[in-house]
Amino acid sequence: MIARIREIWGRATPQVRRPFYVGLGVAVVLAVLVGLGVGNTSAFFVLPSTLDGKATSQAIWGLKPSNLLMVLPLGAFLVVLARSFIGLKAFGLFTPMLIALAFLQIGPVMGPVVLCSSVLVGMIVTPSLLKLRMTRVGFLGVLISLIVLVLVGLQMILDTQLQVDAFPVIVCALCVERWWKQWGKDGAKPAAKMALNTFVLAVVIEFVMVSNFAMALIEWSPLLMPATTGIAIAILGRYRGLRLSEIHRFAPIWLERRRQARAAALPEGVTEDRRKGLPDTRRVPEPEALPEAMPEEEPAAPVPRLRVRAAYRMPQLVPLHRSHGMVLAAAAKRAPALGGMWVIESPADLAPGARRRASQLISPSVTSLATGTPANDRALPAGRPPIHNAWVVRRAEDV
Amino acid sequence: MFMGLGKIFAHGKQAFDPLDEILGINQRNALIQKYNPRHAIERARDKVAAKYALEAAGIACTGTVAVIDDHQKLSSFKPSRDMPDAWAIKPARGSQGDGILLAVRREGNTWYKGSGAPLPEEMVMHHIQKVVDGGFSGDSAAEDAALIEPLIIADPALSRIVPEGLPDLRVISLHHTPLMAMVRLPTIESDGKANLHQRAIGAGIDMETGKITRAVVKGTPITHHPDTGVNLIGFEIPGWKRVLELASRCGPAVGLGYCGADIVLDVNDGPLVIEVNAHPGIEIQNICQAGLKVRIAATGEDFR
Repeated sequence: MIARIREIWGRATPQVRRPFYVGLGVAVVLAVLVGLGVGNTSAFFVLPSTLDGKATSQAIWGLKPSNLLMVLPLGAFLVVLARSFIGLKAFGLFTPMLIALAFLQIGPVMGPVVLCSSVLVGMIVTPSLLKLRMTRVGFLGVLISLIVLVLVGLQMILDTQLQVDAFPVIVCALCVERWWKQWGKDGAKPAAKMALNTFVLAVVIEFVMVSNFAMALIEWSPLLMPATTGIAIAILGRYRGLRLSEIHRFAPIWLERRRQARAAALPEGVTEDRRKGLPDTRRVPEPEALPEAMPEEEPAAPVPRLRVRAAYRMPQLVPLHRSHGMVLAAAAKRAPALGGMWVIESPADLAPGARRRASQLISPSVTSLATGTPANDRALPAGRPPIHNAWVVRRAEDV
Repeated sequence: MFMGLGKIFAHGKQAFDPLDEILGINQRNALIQKYNPRHAIERARDKVAAKYALEAAGIACTGTVAVIDDHQKLSSFKPSRDMPDAWAIKPARGSQGDGILLAVRREGNTWYKGSGAPLPEEMVMHHIQKVVDGGFSGDSAAEDAALIEPLIIADPALSRIVPEGLPDLRVISLHHTPLMAMVRLPTIESDGKANLHQRAIGAGIDMETGKITRAVVKGTPITHHPDTGVNLIGFEIPGWKRVLELASRCGPAVGLGYCGADIVLDVNDGPLVIEVNAHPGIEIQNICQAGLKVRIAATGEDFR
């Protein structure tokens, strides 16, 4: 397995390697930050009314509500990373960041629950809404009222202090609309994939925003976070190489190139390239012309035993006596003669040095004997002897 | 280490490595940012404005029946009086073929789609109204114009190889130089639409000869059209020289440096430009099995 990966790696062109390194680096950094963020989460299942008036983000992660603004640039930075290095496609440019912020306000588990339920209801209702033939503005307006309805319902069921304000509502409405458009354009599967991407990215951003690293930056100085991320985005935004997802997308081109290169480099008849650096000067043996007639079982003079230990061992041909069981069985079954092959009809034909007849020289007596010859029998009505498989046309009736 | 970083972020002396042949989406965006000015992109996005610009430059475009860009024009428009027998309604700012309605024949005041579904007059009016309201125009536009054109009948040489629908050519060019071309052939599965997402065939064209070298459906190479059984490989696009000439003039006419021209072959008028795209996709590389970046580099581009 490792050897295989190493082999693939060795063949990859620099254009493939570079984005892979970059993507790997980004993934590792993200994983570390998400780990920190998860580690920093004190309670997953918590409802706001148990926090006696403290904001959810402060109670769970120690992130002051006034600092929610500070983590926004970090979210933007992560969206840039995900888009231009990894190539994750999400609904909208900064929708995942906004969703992450909504998650911070509602809670690590309650956030996704609220978002998913409202978006789900929106998705279910959209087809019937579209049948009303409204304008887009009207459609969005109805959608917003509907999502608010769901959110209020959730507030009544779960917790009256669940912080669902204007922000998540618009985000949900836009999500539903994007989802529906994507479905109409590409079908359900790509749309679902994109929705999943958006969701995963939002969760990743959420946890990176509350990681110790981000908190420390914010605590240190309020200016540090926007400045650092601004500079980092400005540098990384200049990335012009391939995205990680494009390696997979354009892999067929590289594979085809390699196949072509290999086919062009090797002479005919050679299947394995054993050259190392120097061009191959060995002569390629011409493939021998196949004999017209090939004995099925050659009982000729025994081949001398190979003394040299070779990788390929020639099969030994053992002469059989005419009264041998296998010979008799073969004779009894009358193996049908095949076109261009020797006909073995009697045990005498198997004797060393015996004259055998090739099947193309078929005299009427032979045709009657060699029954079941697939090609010849069907084409041979009695009384018309073919000469060397060719019909002789003498009269008009022969055609 | 710093050399590597330089290469990654295109600061280094040698920004182009001959082994980099694929144009990634990041590099494409950089090219668009460099060569396609904002106003030209806006013009290209608006089919009506692009058409004016192309016709002003003397480039053969598809004909126009009417442009309906406000509700006043809409209320004075009467399909049974103003529409021909076969037409196409397009939103001026639509993308990826959204909101395009085609009628192939007319009986009295009812038109019929290619699939045979009837289109009564009020349905046509409703569609035009939806277009004008911006129902197909993405997120930004609240209002749009409906562009009504006579239906294009494809060149018989091309329509022979497709079961239904209109095949169209996509030529990507940088300034005056056409770089890569493909033809999109509709299938029954794609519902007559020349959209690669909907399982239409994409066929790469050799730039020198205009012959199809390779045909792909959703990543699977094929040799024959699955519906008509015509051999595609080696098929020569009629009027290829004219197609290249049109494609090379499209970008400068609209003001775009890097663009993709959509060209159809009309039975009477030959190659006609239907649209100029300011953000042409890079999937064409998979279809032609060739990298755009090497070809762009061959025109002298330094990728700075």
